[in-house]
Amino acid sequence: MTAYDVLRSEWVKFRSIRAMLGCLAGAVVAAGAYGYLFGTAAARDYLDASAADRAAFDPTETAFRALVLVGVLVSAVGVLAVTSEYAAGTMPVSVTAVPRRGLLLLGKGAVVAVTTLLAGPPLALLSFTLSQEALAAHGVPSAGPGDPGVPGALLGAGLFTGLIGLFGMALGFLLRRSAGAVSLGAFLLILPGTAGLFPKPVAEWIVTWWPSAAGARIFAVHPGHELLAPLAGAGVLAAAVLVLLCAAVAVFRRRDA
Amino acid sequence: MIELRQLTKRYGEVAVVDGLSFDVRPGVVTGFLGPNGAGKTSTMRMILGLDRPTSGSATIGGRRYADLPVPLREVGALLDAQAAHPRRTAFDHLLSLAYANGIGRRRVEEVLGIVGLADVAGRRPGGFSLGMKQRLGIAVALLGDPPVVLLDEPVNGLDPEGIRWIRTLTRGLADEGRTVLLSSHLMSEMALTADHLVVIGRGRLIADTGLEAFVQAAAQQGVLVRTPDAPRLASLLRDAGAAVRPGADGGLMVTGMSGAEVGGLAGAHGIVLHELTPRRASLEDAYLELTGDSVEFAASAAGAAA
Repeated sequence: MTAYDVLRSEWVKFRSIRAMLGCLAGAVVAAGAYGYLFGTAAARDYLDASAADRAAFDPTETAFRALVLVGVLVSAVGVLAVTSEYAAGTMPVSVTAVPRRGLLLLGKGAVVAVTTLLAGPPLALLSFTLSQEALAAHGVPSAGPGDPGVPGALLGAGLFTGLIGLFGMALGFLLRRSAGAVSLGAFLLILPGTAGLFPKPVAEWIVTWWPSAAGARIFAVHPGHELLAPLAGAGVLAAAVLVLLCAAVAVFRRRDA
Repeated sequence: MIELRQLTKRYGEVAVVDGLSFDVRPGVVTGFLGPNGAGKTSTMRMILGLDRPTSGSATIGGRRYADLPVPLREVGALLDAQAAHPRRTAFDHLLSLAYANGIGRRRVEEVLGIVGLADVAGRRPGGFSLGMKQRLGIAVALLGDPPVVLLDEPVNGLDPEGIRWIRTLTRGLADEGRTVLLSSHLMSEMALTADHLVVIGRGRLIADTGLEAFVQAAAQQGVLVRTPDAPRLASLLRDAGAAVRPGADGGLMVTGMSGAEVGGLAGAHGIVLHELTPRRASLEDAYLELTGDSVEFAASAAGAAA
């Protein structure tokens, strides 16, 4: 029983569950629709803005906002890779086939990470393209995919979605229930959207350090200095995901399967 | 060969499995019997490394399950026939498990043939009957052509044809020299399938014996008599040294005296007999006798009489 065997096994499980395709299809719809909506909203703001604000306008800023919402569906992919087994009662069967539970978890993680990582750049490109189309349609300055910094953000989307996929998988192992893990995952991902409701120091901390907000810095084409640099932000998300994965490994190895 | 040594599983104060020690030998079908809640499934889950024993050990060929390099090639198990994703085809279900142990597509097709599911390989178990799911579970157990096979309640919910199929299959596996452990809470089924019996109750070993020896040891022989003059015959029989207790439908169950002796005694006193039947306690009786004290939720005698 090699790592390659476990990987093949996990890939068969992954591709044979239709809910995975459903989540990925949903991610495509969300990336496109929200990309366009965020673009349209930014265009309206631009048209209402003062000359000074217009001069400071960065069209790429809205281009990837949809990706955090897309992340909800991407994390569901990771969740379902695990909870579908608990729901169907196949986890004991899987564990008898691969009693080295760490290896089983790694195999699942590799399949989830690779598929969600590969999904990231196309989703980001879709969101980027439609948001820029929306800007251009209103006669507002827009960016192209080849503009400086944009290719990096598009590729960085793979890192973001890959980490979010693993985040979902870790929650799946910890909670073992689809509904619980998907809704907790969604809440944790979109929490920075509610930062404005908190007292200012808390809000600033959330916007800077909350893993999903920090991770989304990978999309910053013109990062500035107020928040974390793109890779540093991704590093914060990666660290948080790593902590969750370690907890998942510990719990999965310890618990009766 | 499966070896259990003082295997124990506790949840807090409650011992589900309590110091269980026995061997399961190759070449015979070992029936693993006990009332519901006796700890059969917990024991099997510990053998398979799914549950961690509180103390003691369970080994297969001297090794813990978790230490088997390619487990499906050494041990095949059916724990829960419902354990298949309802939307994943039977073929993919088997393939995912086969790949994990370096087993190829050809073997998957082969086991689908063995269990008679070749025609529905591409269908989803969500639409399977209980019998088909059971067969799919058996297919998983046979994937690695393992020398040790564990089946937990494999005949539960099966139709007579399915039951017969399991019986033939397990017999065949044992005849090929494999170690076969088969759990059930039905003595009647074991009587037809098993060569050796391990009986547990409340997590403890009650019997570990050959089927014949089990019957001999536990069965009480007796004679059932039916007569319109039961009180008188009963007192005569007692005077002659027999033990008499009320049998079914107002009859008398006599032990310690042969049918001929009972008939002779009745004839000598001019008592009319309507029935005189030598009774050999059934396996079921022997089993209930043994496990009677260990049933978790027994119906009370009063409740049964009412």
